[in-house]
Amino acid sequence: MGWVEASLILFGGLVAIMGLGLPVAFAFLALNIVGAWLFLGGEPGLAQLSRNAVQSVTSFSLTPIPFFVLMGEVLFHTGVALKAIDAFALLIRRIPGRLSVIAIVAGTVFSAISGSTIATTALLGSLMLPTMLARGYEPKMAMGPIMGIGGVDMLIPPSALTVLLGSIAGISISGLLIGGIVPGLILSTLFVGYIITRAVIDPSLAPNEELPPAQGLWERWRPFFVHVLPLVLIFAIVVGAMTGGWSTPTEAAALGAAGTMLAAICYRALTGANLMKALTGTIAVSGTILFIILGATTFSQVLSFSGATNGIVALISGQGLSATAIVIGMMLILLFLGCFVDQVSMMLITLPFFMPLVQRLGIDPIWFGVMFLICMQLGLLTPPFGLLLFTMKGVAPPSITMQQIYAASVPYILFGLIVLIAIFLLPPIATWLPGVLGN
Amino acid sequence: MTRLSSLFGRLFDFLAVVAALLLFAMVILTTADIVLRNVAGIGFPWANEVTEYALYLTTLLTAPWLLRRGQHVRIDMALALVPSRLAFAMEALADLLGLAASLVLIWYGTIMTVQSARLGSITIKNLVFPEWWLLWPLPACFVLVALEFVFRFHRLMTGPRTRRLEATSVG
Repeated sequence: MGWVEASLILFGGLVAIMGLGLPVAFAFLALNIVGAWLFLGGEPGLAQLSRNAVQSVTSFSLTPIPFFVLMGEVLFHTGVALKAIDAFALLIRRIPGRLSVIAIVAGTVFSAISGSTIATTALLGSLMLPTMLARGYEPKMAMGPIMGIGGVDMLIPPSALTVLLGSIAGISISGLLIGGIVPGLILSTLFVGYIITRAVIDPSLAPNEELPPAQGLWERWRPFFVHVLPLVLIFAIVVGAMTGGWSTPTEAAALGAAGTMLAAICYRALTGANLMKALTGTIAVSGTILFIILGATTFSQVLSFSGATNGIVALISGQGLSATAIVIGMMLILLFLGCFVDQVSMMLITLPFFMPLVQRLGIDPIWFGVMFLICMQLGLLTPPFGLLLFTMKGVAPPSITMQQIYAASVPYILFGLIVLIAIFLLPPIATWLPGVLGN
Repeated sequence: MTRLSSLFGRLFDFLAVVAALLLFAMVILTTADIVLRNVAGIGFPWANEVTEYALYLTTLLTAPWLLRRGQHVRIDMALALVPSRLAFAMEALADLLGLAASLVLIWYGTIMTVQSARLGSITIKNLVFPEWWLLWPLPACFVLVALEFVFRFHRLMTGPRTRRLEATSVG
């Protein structure tokens, strides 16, 4: 069987099985069983498949995933996040589009302590959206920033999906985590600038509020020092431990999770019940991701043995295209897939082809990885199936329509594209910080 | 069938609690290791290895629970586009495929485990133990997953003839 037929069987089969609605993990597994039988020598191939399944998640490099998710879950279930929002509300007072700006600033800080985009969006959406709408904010002005900053969560470490990308693609995990910081902060800044500009041009989008009289300087800053700074410190410990060579990403992630729990204890916010909720929420998210890895573990091997990987890579390399054109092509494929496929599947489907190309063309893996992350982040926001759009629908009042949510996400998708193009043209945006911090 | 299904539902809940506690233990163990290593110069050399096994176990322990809760990510684009009766038929076919895949994993997972035990294979890292200890949870997990696919199929057949509303992405 030639590589073309093999590719058709494998990709056609995957699309067909996923299309049936079989959970992605089992769709990969079913396809791998067929693939192992056809291309890995029948019964020995299936035995290999079982062995690979055991080894796939018995992996130290994947361990940060549950730890990073746990950090966010603890933050949200203990109410520590709520206090942080209150602290920002005291500091950010006279600014157009105030509540939207608070959502972005608080969301950026949560991104630095939560490894889960959905948790950040759901939290900000359920806490801030009702207040914003009640104060006359135009729905797009209220929802857009929350979804936008939810996506940024994936770029700013800790991020579970970044760990997964590094692990599957064989790119330095700490390098990728650090590489996401600058683009994430640029996006947050662009969002704030956009919100203020819109609110200045059309004040009816975000009506000014009657604020209680300003308190003294210390009264205003105290909640920041008490409820925000320790969270930023935890972020600094996680990043510092990783980059300082003091610990591996897994150990840094464990320190982060323990630090978050310790902070919650210090705030007297941690109870047995909310800790259990946080742990259960974590195993649900990380269990989903890891079981896909378990199901899909043999996919790249099957692709390779069938000749599909070499065939497709040789076909693309043989077209005489420049590295730039190939990278653009890869990004376009990712942006397209992001509209329809979840982030884990995006990685598993594309990386077996993309990484050999990246290596062959001598492309900087951190640069490529950060752009990959932004494409995945955009996939969270792009209609029709962006996860954060549905997360927002889940926490928004029933009067909000899906069309309004789609419309609200558009400016934030455009900003993501702008940053993607900026990184493409100016790689140091992604590679400078990992370089400085020694990755 | 419904009673049996609810009984297994409770078992899945219990296994999820075990997984949650295992995760908690992983955090404490890894943190204790890194702190002791850097502060007192002594750590647990086996901590990384135990964490790896714990990650594997939490994944397996949560799989049937997630399937019961409809939280295993899937792509429901086609299901949403087609008429409900066709979506229903696709759901049924997907369940049967999931069941078939699980049965294959049970079979080959069991062969792998038995062969390893017969050969007396040993896992040698920091900890030394028979390899089959590590292997048997895989087929065991897929036994529960296969059972859940049967329950799921039964629920589909006895419920409204349309598509399910389940998770389409992870956070």
